[in-house]
Amino acid sequence: MEGRLPIRRFVQNNLVLMTILLLVLVTVLAEPKFLTVGNLGNIMNQFGPLSFVSLGMTIAIIGGFIDLSVAGIVSLSAVFTLSMIDVLGQGGALVCGLCAGAVMGLINAYVIISCGALTQAKALFITYGLSAAYSAIALLYTDGATQHMSYLTRPVTLFKAIGSGKIGFIPVSFVLFLLVMGLLHLFLTRMQTGREICLTGANMTAASLAGIPVKRRVMQIFVLSGMLSALGAIVLFSRITTASPLLGADYETNAILAVVVGGTSLAGGRGSVVRTMLGVMLVTLLSNCMNLLGISTYLQAVCKGLVLILAIWLDRRRVK
Amino acid sequence: MSTNKTGFANKALRIVGRQKALMAILLMLLVMLFFDTRFYTSYNLLDMLNSAAILEIMAFGVTLTIICGGCDFSIGSMMSLSGIIAIKMMAYMPIACAIAVAVLCGALVGFVNGFLVVQQKTEPFIITLGMGMLLKGIAQQITDAHPVPASNLSFMKIANTRAIAGIPNLIVIMVVMMILFHCVLRYTSFGRNCYAIGGDYNVASMSGIKAARIKWATFVICGMTAAFCGVLLSSKLNTGSSIYGNTTALSVNCGCVVGGTSFAGGIGGIPQTFVGLLVIQLLENCMNMLGINAYVQQVCEGIIILLILWFDSYAQKRKAETV
Amino acid sequence: MTGGPEIILSIKDVSKSFPGVKALDHVSMEVRKGVVHGIVGENGAGKSTLMKILSGVYEKDEGTIVFDGKTVERTTPVQALRSGLSIIYQEFSLVNSMTVGENIFLGRFREAGGMKGTHRKAKALLESIGSNLSTRQYVSELSTSEKQMVEITKALSFDSKLIIMDEPSSSLTEDEMKRLGAIIRELKGRGISVIYISHKLDEIFEYCDYVTVMRDGHVIDTRPAEGLSRAEMITMMVGRAIESEYPERPRCVGGPLLEVKGLNTRKLHDISFTLNRGEILGLVGLVGAGRTEIVRAIYGADRVRSKHIRINGCEVHIASPMDGKKHGIGFVPEDRKMQGLALPFSVERNISMATLSKIRKGLFLNPALEREMAQRQIGELSIKTPSPTTVVESLSGGNQQKCIIGRWLETQPKILILDEPTRGIDVGAKYEIYMLMKKAVEQGSAILLISSELPEVLNMSNRVLTVANGRITGEFDPERASAQEIMNMAIG
Repeated sequence: MEGRLPIRRFVQNNLVLMTILLLVLVTVLAEPKFLTVGNLGNIMNQFGPLSFVSLGMTIAIIGGFIDLSVAGIVSLSAVFTLSMIDVLGQGGALVCGLCAGAVMGLINAYVIISCGALTQAKALFITYGLSAAYSAIALLYTDGATQHMSYLTRPVTLFKAIGSGKIGFIPVSFVLFLLVMGLLHLFLTRMQTGREICLTGANMTAASLAGIPVKRRVMQIFVLSGMLSALGAIVLFSRITTASPLLGADYETNAILAVVVGGTSLAGGRGSVVRTMLGVMLVTLLSNCMNLLGISTYLQAVCKGLVLILAIWLDRRRVK
Repeated sequence: MSTNKTGFANKALRIVGRQKALMAILLMLLVMLFFDTRFYTSYNLLDMLNSAAILEIMAFGVTLTIICGGCDFSIGSMMSLSGIIAIKMMAYMPIACAIAVAVLCGALVGFVNGFLVVQQKTEPFIITLGMGMLLKGIAQQITDAHPVPASNLSFMKIANTRAIAGIPNLIVIMVVMMILFHCVLRYTSFGRNCYAIGGDYNVASMSGIKAARIKWATFVICGMTAAFCGVLLSSKLNTGSSIYGNTTALSVNCGCVVGGTSFAGGIGGIPQTFVGLLVIQLLENCMNMLGINAYVQQVCEGIIILLILWFDSYAQKRKAETV
Repeated sequence: MTGGPEIILSIKDVSKSFPGVKALDHVSMEVRKGVVHGIVGENGAGKSTLMKILSGVYEKDEGTIVFDGKTVERTTPVQALRSGLSIIYQEFSLVNSMTVGENIFLGRFREAGGMKGTHRKAKALLESIGSNLSTRQYVSELSTSEKQMVEITKALSFDSKLIIMDEPSSSLTEDEMKRLGAIIRELKGRGISVIYISHKLDEIFEYCDYVTVMRDGHVIDTRPAEGLSRAEMITMMVGRAIESEYPERPRCVGGPLLEVKGLNTRKLHDISFTLNRGEILGLVGLVGAGRTEIVRAIYGADRVRSKHIRINGCEVHIASPMDGKKHGIGFVPEDRKMQGLALPFSVERNISMATLSKIRKGLFLNPALEREMAQRQIGELSIKTPSPTTVVESLSGGNQQKCIIGRWLETQPKILILDEPTRGIDVGAKYEIYMLMKKAVEQGSAILLISSELPEVLNMSNRVLTVANGRITGEFDPERASAQEIMNMAIG
C-alpha cells in the first residue's frame, strides 16, 4: 500500500508545482513570447502587490482566521500614503502608511476580541464588515477621486524605486518580497512568537490553557496582516503611479486563492509562507498566460473563481 | 393552565429580549420624528417597503440556508446574472419561459454550491464568495459590462404596477413569499428538519433526517430566490446589468444576522429576518432623508451593522463570562 | 445460561476488522428479554465497535445477529431504531437549539402529527416514566440527567425492545444515578432489555443481572452478576491479576504551599483552603458542583469577583493562565482533545507547548533542544509513540494524556492541577498515571486532584475536600472517613 505509485503521491503532494509546470509548458507551446526577458520581468512585477497581501493572509490563516479586511486596508492605506507624501516627505509617508495598516489590523483584532468572536466563522464576518468600512473611509477621504503620483510636488524617488526599479532585470519589489518572505518564514518556524501563533491557530483553547497569551497573538496576527497589506498597497500604487479608493477590490479573494492554492490549510495551524509564494506564482502565471492567450479580463475572473473553488475543494479532500 | 400562562409570559419576554433589531427600528422611527416630517408619509413608507422588497425576498431564501448552518454570498452576483439572462432570453421565447430559465440557472448555481458545501464539506462562506466572483465574471462577459435594456413592456409591468388595492406588486409578492417561507419553516417537516440540521448535523442525520439532501435543497432554494429577485430587479429598473448586487450579499446576510438568525445554525426565522433587513433598509432611507453624503452613508451603515453585531456577541460573551 | 426468559438478541461469531486491527474476533453473546445486561472491558476491548455494529453505524465482516427473532444482515441507525433497538451514547444525540418534544420525535414530525401531536405524545411518554419535564423547554437549558431522560423517552417513543446505554453515569450525580436506577428498573418491568456499558464496576453490580466481559475484541465470559466478585471481574478484564488498582499512597506532606482565600465568582462562594507541599488534595463533588470552576479560577482561566492567593506565603496575582504558569502552576484540563492538545501537531510540539522559552536560544527556537525535551518526557512517562514527530492525534487516549502531563512536568510545577486525569483511559494506563502522580509529589510538587471516581480520590489523596453548590462543605482524611460520609457531604 505504502510503496504503491510513488509518482502519483509525489504529484498529489506537489499539485501546485505540477500545475505551474504544466501551465508554463502549455503557454510556451502556444505563445513563444512567454519566455522573453521582458515578459518574465513583467510577471515578477505583477507578482508584487498580491504576494505581500498573500503573505499577510497566510499568517492570518495559519493563526486560525481569515482576514477579509485586506481589500479595505489596501484601498485606504494606498490613498492615505499617497496623500501623505506631500505632507511628510516620502520616508515619513512610507512609515505612516505601514503604521496605518498596522492600526487597521489592530482595530480588527480589537473588535474581534471585544466581541468574543474568536472563531474563524465569526471573525470572517467582522473583518468583512470592517473591510466595507475601510473602503468607505477611503472613498470619503478622497471624495471618490483617484489620486496621481505625478501631481505631487515633493520627490517620489523612493516609491519609484519600489514600484519600477530594477536590479539587473529583477524588480526591486520582488527582491523586497523575497526578503520579507524569508523573515516571515524564519519567524513562523523558528521563533517562539511564530510557533505560538501556529499553536493558537491549531487549538486556541489548548494554547490559552498552556499559558500562551492568545489574545496578544491574535493582535499580532492581524497587525502583521494589516501591515503586509499596506506594504502591498504601497508597492501597487508605486507601480501604477495612481491610487484609487477602490484599489483593493477583490484582493481578499485573490489572496485567499493564492494561500489555499499554495496548500496552507484553512483549518489553521499548518502551512507556510513558502507554499504561499508558490500559490501566488500560480495565480500570477495564470493571469499572465490568460493575458498572452488573449482571454478577456471578465473571463479571467471566471477562471479565478473556478480555481479558488477547486483549490478549496482539493484542500478539503486532502484533510479528509 | 397557570403553567401555560407563565410559559407564554416567558416566551414573550424572551422574544422582546431577542428583538434588538426591533428596538433599533423603534429608535430610528423615534429619531426621525424630530428630524424630518416627510419621512412619515404613507408615500415614503410604502416606497421604502417597495425598495426593500427585493432584498427581503432574497433574505428569506438565505435564511433557510443559514438556519441549516450554511450561508450564501453568491446571491448578489446571482441576482445580477439572472436579470441579464431573463432579458436576453426574452428575445427568443415568451416572458414566462425566460423567467423560468433565469430561475433555473439560479437553481443550478445553488445546486453546485450545495454540492461543494454539503457533499464536499467546504466552508460555505468562502465557496459562495468564490462562486459570486465567478458569476460576476460570467455576467460581465456576456454583457461586456454594459447594461442591457429590456424592450418588453409587460416585463416592466411585473414590478412596477399596483395590481391589488393600490399596493405595489413587489410588496404583494414579498408578503406572499414571506407567508410561504414562514409556513414552510414552521409547519412542515422539511422546515423543522432544517432547524434540526442546523442545530446538530450529525444528530439529525442519525435520526433518519436526510440531512445532506435537505441542506443541499436549501442552497438550491436560495439560488432560486436570488435568481427570482434578479428578475424582479431587472423588471423594476427595466435593465439588466453586471454592476447590480455588489454589496447585496453583505447587506442580506448581515440583515439576517442582525435580525437574530444565527450563523451557528438552528436559530432564527423569517419574521426575524424581515425585521433585520428592515433595519438596514430603514437606515439607508433615514440617511437619504437627512441628506447625508453617500460615502458617509456607507461608513455609517458599516459601523451601525457592526455595532449591532458587536452588541449581540458582546451580550453573549458577557452571559458566558459572568462571574 | 439455560432457562430464564426468551432471548431478544443473539450475536454469533461476529467479527470486524479495521485496517491493521481486528476490533472484534468471533464474538458471541445473548441478551434475554427484560434483563439488564452489563458489558465491561478496558478501552479498546471492542465494546463500542460491537454496539456500533448493532446500531448500524458499522457493518460487520462476518457472523450472524438475530434481533427479536429476525436475522439482521445490514442495518442503518434509523432502521435499527425502527426495529426497536435504541442506543444512548455518552454524548447525547440531541439538538440543543430545539425543544424537548421536538427532540423526542426528531425526524418524525409528520408521523407525530405536526407540532401539536409532537408535544402531546411527548408529554404522555415523559409522564409514563415519571418525569414532569416541559416538552416546550429547550434542550440547551436542561441538565445532563434531564437530557438523559429525554434520550430514554426518545427510545421509548420507538417502542424499543432493547436499549443500549453507553457509559450512562459518566457525568451524573449520585442523586441522578438513583433516578436512573429507578428508570432502568421501570424499563425492566415493561419487559425492555437494557445493555449497560460502564467503566464503573459498582454500578454493574448494582443494576445488572448478567455481565459480559470483553477483552481485545473477544468475549471472555458471560455470567450472572450474582456470585461474581469484583476481583474476578477485573482479572477477566485485564487478563492478569492486578494486586491493586492503585499504588501505595504517597506520604510526603510538608508545610503550606498554596493558600486560597475568599475566592468568589458567580458560581463559587467564599472558597478558602490550603494545599501543602508534597500533598495530593482531592476535590470531591458532583458534576456541576464547582470543582472545575475552583481550579480554573485559581489558574486564572476564568474571571473572578475576588480571590486572594498566596504561594509560599507570598501574595500573588493570577489574572490569566500565563500568570498561573509563571507562578508554578500546571493545569491538565478535563477535556483532552478540546482543551489540551493541538491535535494536528506532533508529540514533541505538544510537549514543548508550555515551555517554549526553555528551548529558545537567543531569538530562535532550537530543534535539538526540543527533541531532547520530548525524548526525556517520552522516556520518563513511557509514552508509547513511534517517534517524537508522530502526530499526537494518532496516539491512544492514555498516551495523549501523558503528553499533556509531560508538558507540565517540563515546567517543573510547584502545583499540578489534574482535572479528571484518568477519564476514558484504560486500567493499565490509569495505574501509570497514578505512579506519575506519586513520583511528582515525592519530588516536592503538590497536586490538586479532581475526579468523578470516588475510589480514585480516596486511594490517592492525602486529604479530601468536598464541594457542593459552589461551597466547600467538608474536609476529610480519606484513611479514616468512609466513602458514605464523604459522599454525604458532597451531596450537600
